[in-house]
Amino acid sequence: MGTLSEKVEQIIEESQNDTSEVIQVGNLKKRYTNITALNGVSFSVKRGEVFGLLGPNGAGKTTTINILCTLSQPSSGVAYVNGYDVVHESAEVRNSIGLLFQETILDNHLTAEENLYLHAMLYGLSRKEYFERKKDLLKFCELWNKRKAKVETFSGGMKRRLELARALIHHPQVLFLDEPTIGLDPQTRKKIWDYIFSLRKKKNITIFLTTQYLSEAENCDRVAILDNGIIVALDRPENLKRMIGEDIISFRTENNQIAEREFQEKFSKFPIKRVGKELRVKVDNGDKFLPILVKAISPRIISMELRRPTLEDVFLEITGRKIRENNKEINEEEEEEKFDLSSLFSIFGPSNKKNE
Amino acid sequence: MNKRIKTLYVIWYREVLIYLRNGVKFFTSIFLPILILVFFGTGLKTMLPSTILNYDFVQFFFPGVLGLSISVMAVSSTMSIVWDREFGFLKEILVSPISRSDIILGKILGATTTALIQGALILLITPYLGINFSKWLFIETVFVILLVSYGMAALGVFLVSRLKRMESFSIVSQIIIAPMAFLSGAFFPLSNTPSWMVKIAQYNPLAYGIDALRWVTLSESLAQEEISLLTNHSLLVCIIVLLAFNFVITFLSVRVFNKSIY
Repeated sequence: MGTLSEKVEQIIEESQNDTSEVIQVGNLKKRYTNITALNGVSFSVKRGEVFGLLGPNGAGKTTTINILCTLSQPSSGVAYVNGYDVVHESAEVRNSIGLLFQETILDNHLTAEENLYLHAMLYGLSRKEYFERKKDLLKFCELWNKRKAKVETFSGGMKRRLELARALIHHPQVLFLDEPTIGLDPQTRKKIWDYIFSLRKKKNITIFLTTQYLSEAENCDRVAILDNGIIVALDRPENLKRMIGEDIISFRTENNQIAEREFQEKFSKFPIKRVGKELRVKVDNGDKFLPILVKAISPRIISMELRRPTLEDVFLEITGRKIRENNKEINEEEEEEKFDLSSLFSIFGPSNKKNE
Repeated sequence: MNKRIKTLYVIWYREVLIYLRNGVKFFTSIFLPILILVFFGTGLKTMLPSTILNYDFVQFFFPGVLGLSISVMAVSSTMSIVWDREFGFLKEILVSPISRSDIILGKILGATTTALIQGALILLITPYLGINFSKWLFIETVFVILLVSYGMAALGVFLVSRLKRMESFSIVSQIIIAPMAFLSGAFFPLSNTPSWMVKIAQYNPLAYGIDALRWVTLSESLAQEEISLLTNHSLLVCIIVLLAFNFVITFLSVRVFNKSIY
């Protein structure tokens, strides 16, 4: 095992001088006391690229972002951002990145302008630079007229846009977006993506994002699919989709078992899969295959659908489940943790003492 | 260096801005100590008339109330760390290029400033309490307030750095701050208490703070011998202990905060 990680390190050291790769991650692992969040993740991101990290809740997306932006430290492995080591050169890393967290974190008591001002000061911008950038960015995010309003009066979409402006004010090389559209309505979501993608054209900035809305990741240059702490696929979205075939036909019949058997006998070269109450087939030329399929199967067909594969299908193919299948469970757990009246007495319980 | 001062200034600025914007907190931080001095102090004075004590009870009581007020103020101001953590804003600060020790120094200085503003305003009522004051004495007292509130602010950061929830603060205040207050000599002179209490109190940094405040604030109202009856340590010892404590606790709080999660 030691030789493997050495090799990875060697490769990374070699490529470190190559400025075309702005993020390099080698065999990254992160263990918490009872779970392994990341189990050997390696990838690299080119300068100017829009890179999407996809996966269900708890796959390790946020852990990866947290390590890359120096908020937490890896248990083992290496990671470089903009050529700096995230563990040993954290200040330089932080200087070259902008961040949008999963949750909105603005100072609600302050105005939009004051939020930007504090941020600019934290990143050591001069006053002159701040004033120039402020005007530029607030206009870009269409918040110029609202600059003197307190943030608590803002809508969710406006807050997100202000955060975007804030993340950009110090000229970051890499912009990290952790679930940038979570909790927003579809219209606002689309608008946020418009801003993000227009950014790439205008500012030549590298964007690293995570999302669980797979349809939103279709516009990324490359996507990596993360599941249970390992990367299970990494390629351009088109290639990933091509990987699982051209078209998908899903259909329901009165007797799926017979239909499945008949299909396997007649079209053995196409794989068939049962997903819930549906049968799912991957074929090359869906529109021509449909009438053949209808004739070939004897049980009565209840419904039928033909579509091009999406990233959701890729995810399903690779991990064997839908991306948001197990979300409910996790959300409930999170809520339980928040609702904790006993925290008042937690100091008396030795088991909870560590959390304090 | 210039850049470092700038970043310290930002953290400090935000801390003070929160205090001044929160009108209710600002008001009660001044109002409550005055309330205690005027009503509680006057009431107790009737039980302990000057014939028993050879000094005015309010004179004794004032440095104690002042010291406790600024201590509570300094410690509770550091709660903004937990607040920021609970609402996520701490992340925004932690991912900026500022070093964690500068964040902590900024927070401590911010909390110290809020306590200093409060302490200075309370000092303004001394003429109405029968305590003689001069400009020079005011400056001296502000200096001692600075020492005490800095230490308590750093202690606050040390205690709350790892807290995740606001509710946990009541535990900190009950288990650590309350005993410190009772054993500080703010309510009664420690010199007359049983020896076991004196023994515990000598490890209480706040006891030295209250003693120092008593030495300074009463220096123009009472004779030196009388003040020495009310205190356990000389002014010099108090200042040295306070400086040493501030130094050590700053070091410890930076260490704890460096290890804390976001």
